[in-house]
Amino acid sequence: MRIVPASPSYFSAKPTFTDDFLSLSALLRKVATLPVIPPTEAPKVAWKTIDQYRIMTNEPVKTARYHRMLQILRRLNCIHPSLMPDEVVQAMLRYKKPNQPGEVQPAPGVIDELGRAKGVGRRKTSSAVAWLVEGEGEVLVNGKSLSQFFGRLHHRESAVWALKATSRLDKYNVFALVQGGGLTGQAEAMTLAVAKSLLVHEPALKPALRRAGTITRDPRRVERKKPGHVKARKMPTWVKR
Amino acid sequence: MPPSTCLRSFAQLSLDASAHHGIAPRLLRHPTACFSTSAVRYAAVVKKKGLKAAPKKGEKSLNTKKGRKAPGGGDMGKRPAQGERKAQRKRIVLSNDNALNVSSLQDLDSDNVLRQANEGKVMGLPQANPVDPLKPSTVDALRAVEAFKTSQGWSLFRRPAVLMMKEAVQLAGLFSEVEASAAGAPKKTIRRILCGERMSGKSTLLLQGLAMGFLRDWFVINLPEAQDMVNAHTDYAPLPNSQPMQYTQDTYTANLLQQMLKSNGAFLGSTRLSTTPNPPLALSANATLKELAALGMANPELSWPVFVALWKELSLPGRPPVLLAVDGLSHIMRHSEYMSAEVKPIHAHDLTLVRHFVDHLSGQKKLPNGGIVLGATSQSNAPTSSALDFCIQVAEARQKTPDNVPQWNPYKKVDVRVMEALKDLNSDSSDFDIIKVGGLSKEEARSIMEYYAESGMLRHQVNEGFVAEKWSLAGMGNIGELEKASVRWRL
Repeated sequence: MRIVPASPSYFSAKPTFTDDFLSLSALLRKVATLPVIPPTEAPKVAWKTIDQYRIMTNEPVKTARYHRMLQILRRLNCIHPSLMPDEVVQAMLRYKKPNQPGEVQPAPGVIDELGRAKGVGRRKTSSAVAWLVEGEGEVLVNGKSLSQFFGRLHHRESAVWALKATSRLDKYNVFALVQGGGLTGQAEAMTLAVAKSLLVHEPALKPALRRAGTITRDPRRVERKKPGHVKARKMPTWVKR
Repeated sequence: MPPSTCLRSFAQLSLDASAHHGIAPRLLRHPTACFSTSAVRYAAVVKKKGLKAAPKKGEKSLNTKKGRKAPGGGDMGKRPAQGERKAQRKRIVLSNDNALNVSSLQDLDSDNVLRQANEGKVMGLPQANPVDPLKPSTVDALRAVEAFKTSQGWSLFRRPAVLMMKEAVQLAGLFSEVEASAAGAPKKTIRRILCGERMSGKSTLLLQGLAMGFLRDWFVINLPEAQDMVNAHTDYAPLPNSQPMQYTQDTYTANLLQQMLKSNGAFLGSTRLSTTPNPPLALSANATLKELAALGMANPELSWPVFVALWKELSLPGRPPVLLAVDGLSHIMRHSEYMSAEVKPIHAHDLTLVRHFVDHLSGQKKLPNGGIVLGATSQSNAPTSSALDFCIQVAEARQKTPDNVPQWNPYKKVDVRVMEALKDLNSDSSDFDIIKVGGLSKEEARSIMEYYAESGMLRHQVNEGFVAEKWSLAGMGNIGELEKASVRWRL
């Protein structure tokens, strides 16, 4: 009576990986004739990184080999979605990250019973909350008019840029609360807040607003000071002795 | 060195060099005349530059030479004469030759100035007297009473013109009301405080009021800047026999008489003195009021008695209604910068001219021939006067939300005299109220922007979207911001 291991790759150095690779290759051979879509149109998938795979299998898998396996997975992912066999979906599940991009959707904004849509925006150290209602183009920032709050015309234009760029300035009224930071930060925080609340009213404006640059939060902030430097980057003056 | 000497020394040098071959190189090194060594001896020793020891580490050296001008060079331009800079700063420019003439601009005149249909129209201020071209026009009169301010945009356009906002029409309504009451026995005195946010056109509305007064042949007294009365820049003197002590400002009053003479000259010249001034003044029996005012103008020490006599004349029945106006109200609602003999600050209400105005504003005295008292507040040049601010807030709340009127904060210092003067604002009488200026409607904004465009100062098609955009950016139709955004800050 000879005891035979369940897997033929039991005596290889990386039995799990070898099994995975062989099973995926076999699967691909089986479904190779199914129609495919171009890779650019295939659903976006975040595959496990090599490190995550190594931890999962507890085997020293080489990068190049793992990439070869990923190529098979990407090819499987290109099968036309309407004809995708359930077997393939189940097989790919093992190699996907637990959270896929686009899975976590923010709760859609709502227009409340008074017709207000709320949006929040941040820039530098300022944050702004804006409420948008349909109206004639009146703007109140912290209870003051736009010209009273922002002395510079540039800041005023920044604050309502989302409305101005989509020529909706005379269609909505804005109430905003801003705090923190300086005037530039507050004005540009308001840009984002107004844009987000405008998206609640008119979601179709998103491409136009992205072109106007009011969707993306500007992540820049003051760089920290470092030891040995006078400021973040500035070095003390060079002295001969 | 003059050329002749040079040539001679050079000749001498060459002679010497040919005679003594050994010393020739040395001589050539010192190209000086042989017969004189003074030039070498007196020549200043040239110090080598840049050999100064470098400052030690961590040591700060003060460079005293920096910023000092070179002895011969530097700015040797002519300094402006005394008073020239101030004159330039205070200069009022009322026309811009580069702006286009707006052909559709209609002038204000005595007939149409109080018409309600003017609302939302831009109207020109008359630059020529319709009756007699040699007499001063409304613009001249306004200039004489210093109604135009340097901060206003008069210098941008061909000729002065104003937008008849809804507040201006409201003010015109008050003028009509007073004129309608002229026949009745109790003639109306209407008092209004103009308030509103910065650059909303309070001073311009005051100017419009003055223009209405001039066009309707009222007697107009304008105190152009309240600050000038209380900042201790003019002389003052105690008024004899006054209890509590009051103070006259003779030079200021004489100047005011001069302004009145220039602006209301027609009335003053045509009216004869019918009361005897007390104390008696050196005037003939049937002198005109013009002579009376000229007397006060020429003798500043007599200016206050002359003003009182003039006021008594104006109070007689049959004289025109009076328009009293002041700009920068909060300056006269506090202590002035003047000191009493006991080195205590003098309250602004103890200055005779200010008291004269405040008595009429508070309603303590009535204008016997009817009239309007106007006080404009300022947001850019305003000392804190919490009593005035509070009274305005209350009046505003009474207009908007009568059931929610603010209460005085008991922990704040209160200026009792100001509260007393303005207490009528908190009552139900319609004679004393505020006019909240600001916030053009979109139609008004469009009208003024069309005027800008026709003047050639705004190069953009004035359509609904453009007007709405500028209206929003100007803080919901703040007219000063609108002008700034569309004319001054042209991009």
